[in-house]
Amino acid sequence: MITRQFGSEVRWMLRRPRTIIGLFGLVLVPIIISFGIWTAGDGGGGPGLAAILQGNGMVVPIFTLFLSLNLLLPLVASIWAADGLAGEAQHGTLRGLLVAPVSRVRLLFVKLFGLTAMSLFAVTLMAVVGIIAGTAFLGTNGMMTLSGTTLSTGQGLLRIALFVVLVTFQMVSIGAVALAVSSTTEHPLVVQAATMTTIIVFQVLGQFQSLDWLHPFLITTGFPGLIDVMRDPIPLGQIWDSTLLAGCYLLIGTGLAAMRLITKDS
Amino acid sequence: MNKRKVTLAVATAGVLTGAAGLSLLAMPAGAGQPPSLPDVSAESLVEQVMTAKPGAFGGTVEVDNKLGLPSIAEIPQLADGKHSARIWTDGNGKLRLALPNGQSEQTIVDDGKTTWSWNSQDNEVTKSEHKDSPKESNGEKAIDPATAAKEIVTKTKEFSDITVDGTARVANRAAYELVLSPKPTEKTLIREVRIAVDAELKMPLRVAVLTNGAAEPAGTVGFTQINVGPQDAKLFEFTPPANAKVTTPEAKEAQAREKLPEAGLEAALQGEDPQIFGTGWDSVIGARIPADAMTQVPAEAQGLVDRFTKKVSGSWGSGKLFTTKVATILIADDGRVVAGAVPEQVLFDTIGQVK
Repeated sequence: MITRQFGSEVRWMLRRPRTIIGLFGLVLVPIIISFGIWTAGDGGGGPGLAAILQGNGMVVPIFTLFLSLNLLLPLVASIWAADGLAGEAQHGTLRGLLVAPVSRVRLLFVKLFGLTAMSLFAVTLMAVVGIIAGTAFLGTNGMMTLSGTTLSTGQGLLRIALFVVLVTFQMVSIGAVALAVSSTTEHPLVVQAATMTTIIVFQVLGQFQSLDWLHPFLITTGFPGLIDVMRDPIPLGQIWDSTLLAGCYLLIGTGLAAMRLITKDS
Repeated sequence: MNKRKVTLAVATAGVLTGAAGLSLLAMPAGAGQPPSLPDVSAESLVEQVMTAKPGAFGGTVEVDNKLGLPSIAEIPQLADGKHSARIWTDGNGKLRLALPNGQSEQTIVDDGKTTWSWNSQDNEVTKSEHKDSPKESNGEKAIDPATAAKEIVTKTKEFSDITVDGTARVANRAAYELVLSPKPTEKTLIREVRIAVDAELKMPLRVAVLTNGAAEPAGTVGFTQINVGPQDAKLFEFTPPANAKVTTPEAKEAQAREKLPEAGLEAALQGEDPQIFGTGWDSVIGARIPADAMTQVPAEAQGLVDRFTKKVSGSWGSGKLFTTKVATILIADDGRVVAGAVPEQVLFDTIGQVK
């Protein structure tokens, strides 16, 4: 019963033209990055992770996702969250769902599942295209880590899989908060604007040294620490902290959305 | 209706748990209850530290730096703030160090024969092979560590008090707090140095330097996490990545000399025998930069010096004063340099003695 609802939710999301366009846009990112590094040649590179991309194509998916996590992936998550509740309210289809003899909590979980499935799909798609484009443009010889060690292709794929899971979790947590906003309005654009403004404001606040007491509360503080996946051996401290931080946002977002849905007049 | 209330309560609980989790994550890790350990005298603790055999361990070291040093782009690790490093050793001279710096990382591996240094920023490996010197056989065995420890304790006690001030928990290990404090007659900036010594391994786990007039340490170096025992042997091997440049330290040095403005200043200071004035905590190190070297300092280095120093003058002449919380450096315009963990007045009094 619930699996059928899960399935139909994902099918609904995939049928929207903007989802397809969005996914296509996401896939372009690793291709453009690989091409850019390839044309830059040996002198290229750049700060941080970009410095080890040359001849090391397996790092492209991680670099791409790491970059996209700052703006692009939260934007995509907010679009899906906005469509899920506010979009349905705008079209008048949410009313039907609310009066139906289906628990509203279940409705929320169906929406959350749709968000998770689509996030995982989008992130995996970016990673796969990243591996292909990176290998094609930059070549590969196992995966060289930031620590200067070289991992075998299998180990490298495991690192990419781990990073995909971590990034998806961050995305879902942002999406859950966006769902809470989505449950209060019938204008999808409000949801997107609110989510993106919050992410950008968080990142700006994160730049101020004098506000360091506030930093542990901002979900964006956890993003840079995820790069530890590319160190060898992996230090788990920051990765745990980021994931727990996102977990708190997931709980708050889901809880608020549930409270709003339960008390909402149909 | 009742079911609705239950779900509402569960949802509210979820929000509250999330909020509580956020504040819990934001709280600094508590030090926890200090462990109770058998009493030990400071003298025997120092002796045990000196004679303890280094074992194999791996861990994370955090440096919390509030020294008030200027941030220099080339050495970000020196700037104020927290920096962490990971360290592994097999207890027999093999070592691996990982120094993260933002998104990049520097790795240093000593496999017993060769020291490899890798920097992800420029994709470069510096390889330096150890010279065949039988250093282990002559140096360490000639002096009995226990005797050496006793000597060090006696020497230190001339100028400072050594006490064991309770216990602490560092990186989840029980430790004694060994405190070195300068005798009141010492004219130094430093109030005390606290060393947390692991109760079992007798290895320093944390060193904190406290200065006069500040409750918080000016600098702390300590383990945040440590696991004692044999480490994975693979950690102590290093194969340069396929497309990395491999250079030798000599080549690297020549290259660095051209690049960095500070190198000129460093060269100016080299080749001079430093002179030491005074004894104990308030000893001052002095040197004279040859006049021709002074004029050779490149403009960039001069600018760097000017940016972080203040102009001072007195009966001894005039010069520039560079202060941090734990040390003061005075550079006179005629090339005399004095430095020490002392207030500026001590330097003004001493600089006249520099030959």
